[in-house]
Amino acid sequence: MTNAEGAQPLDRAAVTDLVVRELAQILETEPASIEEDVPFVDLGADSLALIELVEAIEEDLSRAVGSFHIDDDDLEDLVSVRDAVDYVVAKLQLG
Amino acid sequence: MTLPIALDAMGGDHAPGDIIEGARRAVDEYGLDVTLVGVPERMGDPRGLEVVSCSEVIEMADEPGASVRQKKDSSLVRAAELVRDGRASAMVSAGNTGATMASALLRIGRLPGVVRPCIATLMPNPGRHPAVLLDSGANSECTPEMLVQFAHLGTAFVRTRFGVVDPSVGLLSIGEESSKGTPLVKETHELLRAAPGLNFFGNVEGRDLVPSPVDLVVTDGFTGNVALKTLEGAFRFVLQNLLEALDEDEVTREAGRILMPYLVPRAERLRPESIGGSVLLGLKGICIISHGSSNATAIMNALRVADEMARAGVVEATRFAIRPDQEG
Repeated sequence: MTNAEGAQPLDRAAVTDLVVRELAQILETEPASIEEDVPFVDLGADSLALIELVEAIEEDLSRAVGSFHIDDDDLEDLVSVRDAVDYVVAKLQLG
Repeated sequence: MTLPIALDAMGGDHAPGDIIEGARRAVDEYGLDVTLVGVPERMGDPRGLEVVSCSEVIEMADEPGASVRQKKDSSLVRAAELVRDGRASAMVSAGNTGATMASALLRIGRLPGVVRPCIATLMPNPGRHPAVLLDSGANSECTPEMLVQFAHLGTAFVRTRFGVVDPSVGLLSIGEESSKGTPLVKETHELLRAAPGLNFFGNVEGRDLVPSPVDLVVTDGFTGNVALKTLEGAFRFVLQNLLEALDEDEVTREAGRILMPYLVPRAERLRPESIGGSVLLGLKGICIISHGSSNATAIMNALRVADEMARAGVVEATRFAIRPDQEG
């Protein structure tokens, strides 16, 4: 699976890059400072920041794969970057 | 072409009746162009105003972030989208404050570098321009860095809105000394003192809010909201006592007849309804937040404030307040 431009394959690494980049932008910090296993709340993300992140992920991935939605019932299980990446990888069956 | 102001017709304790009445009066008395955003079957008579229809309402008790995601066709979200899409010059809501903030943040978006928008409330300041209290309720929990951002946004706002070249910044605390206050206040004090581009006056106390020795007072949203509501309650208490004293016997009633023409205009200027609403600074568009208990007069004045903010170019003035390096 590739992104909309077909330039970069949409794999686990690309999804991780996407989540980290969006989170860094929301928190006004450097992507390098974001560790995958640190809970969002410990990175300084409040509930509103997490909603921003979810909407940004949905928008980015919808551009790449047509339509992508994160169920609200699943949000409480997404507590770190790794959780979010696992969720996307499973939902898109990226292997 | 002048764009209309998008008004959330469903938000507030007295919605939609007082909201629509306030909009009608703003059109008639100030000549403003107002678009109502609401659920037609719950709105009643729109009084000849244009309506953008939606099907949902974010209630006062709804959780802010989740409600914006779940109620995408709500009046609040649709009003924010009108601003985002360039179909409205500003949005106004007396609804759920947290959801208004979330709608504006998620739909209109933040200016470069802004971590969180803050609510800037104009405080009466007889004899000179109003002082600005920020944050007066958007962010209950803040970091010192966020308070410094509020100071930069407020400085750019006061410069544009009131023509003050180098606005003075006060930090709300429990004493003038830098050693006083919470860890947040003490750390913020040091950052403000060292921050380039800010005219830091030092700490100010609650009694310095009205009248204020500074152009803007910075605090976290929890403290700011408590301070604001305390002032509103104290004002009502003093006014009530004054009115009772002027109706105590024939002598005070005669005094009241003489004094009232002088007192009423002053009291009018100090009433929250006359101020109307507060602006969310740090967004790519204008969002005015009104008191949940807003009546028609408050809504009319909130719409006037929205128009003033749009005309003053508040977004343009604050666009590079946090990231001056990005200014072309």
